[in-house]
Amino acid sequence: MRNATGGTRYAVAVLATLAVAFVALPQVYGNQSVLFTMMTYMALAQGLNLVYGFTGYLPFGYVGFFGTGAYACSILVTFTGLPVLLCVIGGGLAALLIGLILGPLLRLSGAYFSIANLAASQIIYYVVSNEALKPLTGGPYGIKIDQVFAPTASYAAMLVVLLLTTALAAYFRLSRFGLGLRAMHQNPISAAVAGVNIVRARLVVWLVSATVAGLIGGVYAWNLSVFYPDAVFTLEISVFAIVFALFGGVGTVIGPLLGAGLLYTFYAAIGVSTPQYFQLLYGSLIVFLVLFLPNGLVSLLVRRKLHVL
Amino acid sequence: MALLEYALVGGILYGVFFSLVGIGLNLVFGVMRMINLAHGQFIMLGGFGAYLLSSHLGLNPVFGIPLAVAGGIVIGWPLYYAVVPRLQRSNDPEMLSFILFFGIAQVIEAVTLLVFGADQHSLPDSALGSGNIGVLGQDFPDSWWVAVAVSVLCIGGLYLYLSSTRLGFATRAIMADRDEARTTGIDVDRVAAIAFVIGLSLAGIAGVFVPYMVGSVSPSIGGGLTTTSFAIIIIGSLGNPLGTVVGGLVFGIGTMLMQTYYASWSNLVPYALLLVIVLIRPSGLLGKAVRSA
Amino acid sequence: MRKFLKHAWTACAAGAVASGLALSGGAAQAANAPSVLTIGTLYASSGPFAVASKGQFEGLQYWADTVNKDGGTYVKAFKKKIPVKIIAYDDQSSTATATTLYNQLITQDQVNILIADFGSVLTSVGIPLAAEHKMLLIDPTGSGANFFTKKTDYLADVSIPSSTVWPLTLGHFLLGQKIQRIAIIYDSNDFDASQAETLKATLEKGGVKPVYYHGVPTSESNYTVLLHTIAAQNPDAVIEFGYAPNDIAFLRNLSSSGLHFKMTFTIFPGQLLDLMTKNVGAKALAYTYTYPTPPLVQTQKVTYGPNTAAFVEQFKAAKNAEPNFLDVAGYNTGLVVQDMLETAPAFTQLSFHQALMDMSGKTTTLLGDFKINENGAQLGELFSVGQLVPSGNGNKMVVVYPKEKATGTAVYPAPAQ
Repeated sequence: MRNATGGTRYAVAVLATLAVAFVALPQVYGNQSVLFTMMTYMALAQGLNLVYGFTGYLPFGYVGFFGTGAYACSILVTFTGLPVLLCVIGGGLAALLIGLILGPLLRLSGAYFSIANLAASQIIYYVVSNEALKPLTGGPYGIKIDQVFAPTASYAAMLVVLLLTTALAAYFRLSRFGLGLRAMHQNPISAAVAGVNIVRARLVVWLVSATVAGLIGGVYAWNLSVFYPDAVFTLEISVFAIVFALFGGVGTVIGPLLGAGLLYTFYAAIGVSTPQYFQLLYGSLIVFLVLFLPNGLVSLLVRRKLHVL
Repeated sequence: MALLEYALVGGILYGVFFSLVGIGLNLVFGVMRMINLAHGQFIMLGGFGAYLLSSHLGLNPVFGIPLAVAGGIVIGWPLYYAVVPRLQRSNDPEMLSFILFFGIAQVIEAVTLLVFGADQHSLPDSALGSGNIGVLGQDFPDSWWVAVAVSVLCIGGLYLYLSSTRLGFATRAIMADRDEARTTGIDVDRVAAIAFVIGLSLAGIAGVFVPYMVGSVSPSIGGGLTTTSFAIIIIGSLGNPLGTVVGGLVFGIGTMLMQTYYASWSNLVPYALLLVIVLIRPSGLLGKAVRSA
Repeated sequence: MRKFLKHAWTACAAGAVASGLALSGGAAQAANAPSVLTIGTLYASSGPFAVASKGQFEGLQYWADTVNKDGGTYVKAFKKKIPVKIIAYDDQSSTATATTLYNQLITQDQVNILIADFGSVLTSVGIPLAAEHKMLLIDPTGSGANFFTKKTDYLADVSIPSSTVWPLTLGHFLLGQKIQRIAIIYDSNDFDASQAETLKATLEKGGVKPVYYHGVPTSESNYTVLLHTIAAQNPDAVIEFGYAPNDIAFLRNLSSSGLHFKMTFTIFPGQLLDLMTKNVGAKALAYTYTYPTPPLVQTQKVTYGPNTAAFVEQFKAAKNAEPNFLDVAGYNTGLVVQDMLETAPAFTQLSFHQALMDMSGKTTTLLGDFKINENGAQLGELFSVGQLVPSGNGNKMVVVYPKEKATGTAVYPAPAQ
């Protein structure tokens, strides 16, 4: 086993690099929306990594928590007038609640779990966007919280959420709790014999991951300030988070960050110049990666015996 | 009362057709233990095939059926050997294939978009008969009946294939246990490749009728069809192709009833059914799914 | 990790440099005349809004080509003609992408004039961004009622009436025809629902209560069952408010269901007649009512730019294709900008907005009267009611209401086919 202080130092270095980078980048590159969205996807990929990388459960419907957070935050802003940061936290709590309700899904196995989770996210989407809920959610007509529109403050908030999520991933990676998780991922039966409370540990990870997605959604809503339900519930968000995380390498701390950072940069660069070929290039890249680099970019580093957190 | 009858008959027709939409996905999952996330895009290709035949060559869209089969062979066979054996050797084939097929879906959608543009395309109504056929006093367009007849033939054909041919036996053996099938001397890759080709062909055939049942075909409809197919096959039971018919009927009747009485909630149907069934009977209506620990 | 940052950094920096090069116009407040006027806009090459968005973009580009042929557009603030350059990005119908791209246009390209993409959904995310950066958002076709709820200097709907006023004439037509049993089915989105609400209110004011009034999801593509539910109410008129794909599905399902109503109304035959005819068939479209839009109806007398007939001629000669409504809407957006630049005394966003307010009520373009309120909503350019009547192999548009614009009388009840 790696020594814990070395790991901790590594984790601190990763967090510091992230913080410095995203504080400095707006000084040289003015399109803050691109940087903000990049952080959003880094955080989402990392949040999804918490549950997929450490328990093997792939939440197809991860976007459901994100959208729940976005809407809960916006509804709180609209009806309570609480400070916006509290509303963002409310978004996280709402996602936590949904996570609890969906807890029984964890009884299911692989594909069933993924697809049931997907269905759950679609249900939340259709309920939120239903016309009958117009007075509360704005229904299909969207919701508007431009009274709190604040691009710079929400940018800072997203950075904080990204750091928090990454710190959680580092904790999972380095702590005893995390070791237990990995043991249970690799071999649930012997981990159970060894005294790891599988059901509880899995539920804890699930709830943490859901809460994180809710927080990300809340900050995203704050940044966007006017949006329609499909903007925060589109399946593309789940799929991007999954692809980004896998591209970098799941079960590690830096993998999802790398994956999201690189692929989103690629996305933004191509998206601005030759969007008509973007989808084609992107799709081909994914096929290529799965076939030739299935454990993500970090596996290249591991192959060179580099230490990966 | 007439409304209820209409919804029920319509739901059965719609459901039988949607069994065909889902069945290819389920066959592929059953045999390969892989989620073909590009399923909806293959359906969409079938629709565009029929559109090309009808608009450029002036042929009846039903000639899209042999075209879909040909397409299934030409695309499915090389695709299987190019990617599947390689993925089977990896450490998490189920999840990696999911992502791989997502990539393939993106490629298909992008190419279709570059070739055909984003417009919706539909097929001439008259091609499949422009009248109506009634059952219990409820009229439905001829094209629906043709689609349903083709669906029944395809599903029946698949049933016969699985139940009474040597290849079908081998296919079922692989569905039950891939490794055991291999030890009994079955050429797993060949049988699975055939199943993959059949799965894609069935998707393509369903696509031929999508413009009639759904209204039109455009490059962006693939994703929605994939999700609906998922819902249908999981209601039936994942990995059991014939369970799909149950799933299709539940979906079709549920959708039509909701459309009749609570129209604005109708798109919730497949997902709500799926979640309820999975939580009450995790195995689907016919099958197993709870993990061992 | 560090390696990655370097990567991302280089990529971002490269992006910044590239867009810096693209920036040929200079900052909006520049005191010296820019050599090129930059107009930033978005379009969707894919996704649900692609068809409409590309039409609008094509119209705008056509306008830019025409003014550049004359050496540019006259800018009063600099007292000279300046060529225009359109910087356009593809948002693929995604609001998330549109957000970053609006931001790109404002912060990186620093365009002089900002024009929204087609429709309410893709316009919505641009509104707070434009206001934040104190840019006037020229909104061609984003007509959602909830955009125009407070006074603003940074939003102006120029090429389409606010959707709440669309069905006013339709309502009066129905009341005038003394049609009592009316069914309304609409898609749950800003555009369609605000029309349904207005129509219902108009009818109820005239003492008619719809016998059926229902919203369905915008993704609805199968109306077969719904049509039977509607038919069970025995309506004389069925009004369907949807987007083009909904209208196509609705009309196809109607024609194949064997049902027949005395009057059927949908929105898009009047805007995208070719697309509708291709998908629904001329026979199934016959006797359908719609809002006829330019070029299907003509504005003869204009105060600015070509009238509708002249535009159609020019467009056909240049593009070898018939313009549809969205081409006209895109072109009209360019015209309004042109008029605005000719009258705004200073080259600032506020002065631009003031110029638009001053034009309001005094300007008529090929789309009709230009009337904008202080919230940015377009109240002019009102639609009439038209009916498609068989003619040769296809259908021709007959304007049936209001009287002063009518070119024929309504065929009511529609003959069964």
